[in-house]
Formats: sequence, C-alpha cells, structure tokens
Amino acid sequence: MTTVEPRGGATEAGGRAAVLRTEDVAVHFGGIKAVDGIDLALEQGRILGILGPNGSGKSTLLAAITRLVPLTRGRLLLDGEDYGRTPPSRLAHRGIARTFQTVRLLPELTVLGNIQLGADLRRSRSERLRELVRRDVPAAVREAVERTGLGDLLDLFPGELSYGTARRVEIARALASRPRVLMLDEPTAGMNQPERLEVAGLLRRLRDEGLTQLLVEHDVQMMVDTCDRLLAMNQGLPIAEGAPADVVRDPAVQEAYLGKRWNRAGDR
Amino acid sequence: MSQWFVSHLILIQGTFISLLLALSIQVPLRAGVFSFAGIGSYALGAYTAAILTIRLQVAPVIAIGAGVLLAAVVGYLLALLVARLSGLYLGMATIAFALFLGVAATNGGELTGGPTGLFGAISTLTTAHVIAVTLVVVLLLAAGERGAYGRRVDAVREDPQLAVTLGIDVNRVRRRVFVVSGALGATAGGMYTLLRTTVSPETIGFHLVVTALTMIIVGGSLSWAGAAIGALIFTWLPTVLQFVGEWQLLVYGLLVTAAAVYVPGGILGLLQSGWRRYQRSRRPAVRPGAAAAAAGEHEAPLATLGTPGEVRS
Repeated sequence: MTTVEPRGGATEAGGRAAVLRTEDVAVHFGGIKAVDGIDLALEQGRILGILGPNGSGKSTLLAAITRLVPLTRGRLLLDGEDYGRTPPSRLAHRGIARTFQTVRLLPELTVLGNIQLGADLRRSRSERLRELVRRDVPAAVREAVERTGLGDLLDLFPGELSYGTARRVEIARALASRPRVLMLDEPTAGMNQPERLEVAGLLRRLRDEGLTQLLVEHDVQMMVDTCDRLLAMNQGLPIAEGAPADVVRDPAVQEAYLGKRWNRAGDR
Repeated sequence: MSQWFVSHLILIQGTFISLLLALSIQVPLRAGVFSFAGIGSYALGAYTAAILTIRLQVAPVIAIGAGVLLAAVVGYLLALLVARLSGLYLGMATIAFALFLGVAATNGGELTGGPTGLFGAISTLTTAHVIAVTLVVVLLLAAGERGAYGRRVDAVREDPQLAVTLGIDVNRVRRRVFVVSGALGATAGGMYTLLRTTVSPETIGFHLVVTALTMIIVGGSLSWAGAAIGALIFTWLPTVLQFVGEWQLLVYGLLVTAAAVYVPGGILGLLQSGWRRYQRSRRPAVRPGAAAAAAGEHEAPLATLGTPGEVRS
C-alpha cells in the first residue's frame, strides 16, 4: 500500500495528458439525481477508480461516459473533443471498451465466439469475408485469450462456465477490441479471492503497458492496491478525490461507506 | 425420379416458395425483430409481378425484380416508420401493413383486378428457376449467419445495448433486416404468382402470417435451416395427414403448441442442443482451466494458461 501514495502524488504533480475527461456531468431520472456534477479525468496509462456504496451513481456515471444514458448537463471529452453527441456505437471504434456489472455473454456463442465479438469491429470487410471460408482467429483475440487464461475453455458455452470465469470472458472480449480506454464495472464481483488477485494483477500489467482504465469496484482493498487515483462518490456527488490511500482515509468516505454498513447491520 | 418430380411438382414448388416466405420472417426474428413485413412484401411482389407481366409482357426476371426492388424500398421506409416499436407492438404494426395491402388490392380497381384479382400472368418462369433462386438465397443467408456477420446479428438479438458497446450500429442492422425481409417476401410472392399465373386478395391474406410463423416456430427461428425444416414439414404434412381428414387442423394446432411449449428453439434447436451434448460427452472430463477457477487454485496464473498456438478455432 505504501507504493501507492507516491504514485498518486506523482499523478497530481505530473499532470499527464487526460485521454478522457468529464465536466460537470449530471444524469437525472425525473426527480432522482443519480449523478450530479462529476468532473473526472482519465490520464494516459493510469487507472482511475470510482468508489462508492450501492446506489451512489457509479454505474450511471459509467453509462453516461459510454453514452448509454443521455446527460442532463455537462460535457464529455475524448482527446479534448466533445463527444456528447457521438452515437454510442461509434465510441467502440474510437477505442473505448467496457464491461458491465452483470455477466452479458451471448448464450448461443462459445467462449471463443464471445471474445471474437470484441475484435469484430476492427475487422475489415475483406477480413470478414475471408472468415466465412477460413476460420482464423485474429491476433488480438489470441492475445486476449492468453492474458485472461481462457485457452482451455474456448469451446465451452457461457452456461457451462463458473461466474468468475464468465467475468473473465467479458474482460477478454473487451481486450480483444484493443481499446485505448478500458472501463470495468465491478469486474471481480462474484469472484473468489485468488481470482480477484489475478484480475487485479492483470489490470496492473495492462496499465504498465499503457492502457488507460476506469475501474468501478466495491472491494476497497483492491481499489487501493490497483488504482493510481480514486474518486469517491455518494448519492451522485463527488465526496473525495486523490491518491487512493488518502481517499479511503477521508472522513466523508468513511462515513458514506462504513456508516451505511453499520446501519445495514443494525437493521438486521 | 422424374416421374416423381412431375407428379409432385406443385408440392416441390410450394416447398421452395414457402421457404422463401418463411425466411422473410426468420431473417428479422434472428435479429430479434418481431416483424411480419415480409408478408406484406409478398403481396407487393405478387401484384407487381402480375401487373408487369400482364400489362407490359416483361420477362419474369424484370417482373419479379421490380417487385423485389419496390419491397426493399418500402421495407426501408417501414423500418424508419416503426423504428421505435419492438416486440408485440412491432408485430401488430407489420401485420397491419400486410392487411392494409390486402385491402388495397381488393379496392384497387382495374389495376389490381379488385376482389377477383388478376389472371393470365403467363411467363417463362420454371420450377428450375425457383429452385436456383432459392438455393442462391439460402447460400447467401447461410454465409450471413457465419463469422463476424453472424455473431453481430446474434448480439443485436440477444443484447442490443451490449451490441452498441461493441461498436454495432443496432438501428442500421434493423433497417437492413427490413430490406432483406422485404426482398425475400417479394421474391416468394412474385415467383408464386408467375408459376400460378394468377393472384387475388385471398392468396395474400392473413393465412400467410400463420403459415410462415408456424413453419418457423416448429422449425426454429435462429437459422435458415429452421425455416427449411418448417417449410418441408408444413408443405408435405397435408399429404401425409390425408388419413386424418378434417382433423388436420387439429394436428397442426397440437404440433405448433407442442413446439412452442416444449422446444422453444424449434426442431433445429433440438438438433443443435443434441449435437452440443454429444460433443461435450466426447470432451475430456477434466478441464484444467475450469477446475482451477472453480477450486480457486491461483497457482495457475491467468497469463500462463493457453498460448497463442493452442487457440482452437
């Protein structure tokens, strides 16, 4: 944990170029302010974590950044360019890949087929036509399979996989698109501890290779160990931002997190 | 063989025409689009072919091709019109489109021949032409179900939001599906009309919706093969079921109900899951990756399992 602080500090001082930035992003559903004024910056080759209790607006923020829900106000910038009106399907072509909070694999496709889906957008028309007669696997897919350790499971169908393995397939599918920015919504939910450590290690390796990431997680320890910066949210609002170790020690964060837990325990 | 061919000509023609009609519903269903616009396109193709053949004596390829083009354009416009509809509402709207064309044909005066329809659309279209066209269509659709093309349609059907995040323009896929469905329906309608030399509002009615849907529910909606199985069964079943006489419709009803309740994927789905079970039984029982993940043996690091060379395609 001690290694985290200098890295976080360096980020603040270093001022790396932001690949993706949000300015005062808000998403309201009727009277409910799911997200209400979030500024964040994804710096090149860094992992930004978003921390917060259930219902704090993390997933909605991710949906807003990936253009799956319309903004109530604010701006979304990719390489300094406003993409608030870009159709969500174009974002994948511009290098933004994401996973979801729940497993979303196609049941009729094998593990390999599901991972291939990620790479399909990078295939030219002639490559797609060639695939009709010759079933070759693109290098991006092989690489994603190798990284996630799914090599032995490629012929299986999602229904035959454990939950943790299914989540790894989703990460592989996202990686197969060779993204510039990877956004993961609770990637280790439902995984056991060793699996969590593996995924955390994988994300760090990807970061070291220069992949910019946005990580939404519940596991505070994993966030501290993995992220370069943390943004803590509660009820749609930012409550703390900075180096991971500082953010988790922040009184507002402690209250939002631990206070909730104590209350919940008290209810029972 | 040729004796059998001649004596069963009507049924053979019927099989291929039915297949094209069923495909005009199967193609949208495969993409998760519950549209019967193909039936309306059948009517467009049928009347266009009849009118052009009777009035202008054009070659069948032009008479049918014009109908296909018209139906494709109408399909595209329809897709824009019903872009916000899905599920049952889309089904209703597209059935309304088919029924509307039936009413238009009945009241179309001299152009459509009114309630009695049009006669004497005599052309050089043969059964061989019909078979050839159908085979080409099936080949193209089969290719479209493979590789990246197939996967992307799967994604649009199963999880449109996920498809969007994978870079797929879901609305464009849906519009294309309407165009293809229109072209297929019109091909079936045009060819059937020219084979029979006649068309009337009765032949483009609601029964086509029932026929096509029946074929797909029993055969399977996820592939052209399902439509082929359904077309085969429901074209030839009446001759097999002659002995039950007037109970035929009851047998039909039971078949469809049984298929819908017990085999939602149709006969094709049944065959596919059987094939998968067979393949699974041949696989070695121990799967290192799965076992490691299940047991939580993190000594097997993620990155070391499976090298590029081991990737099976």
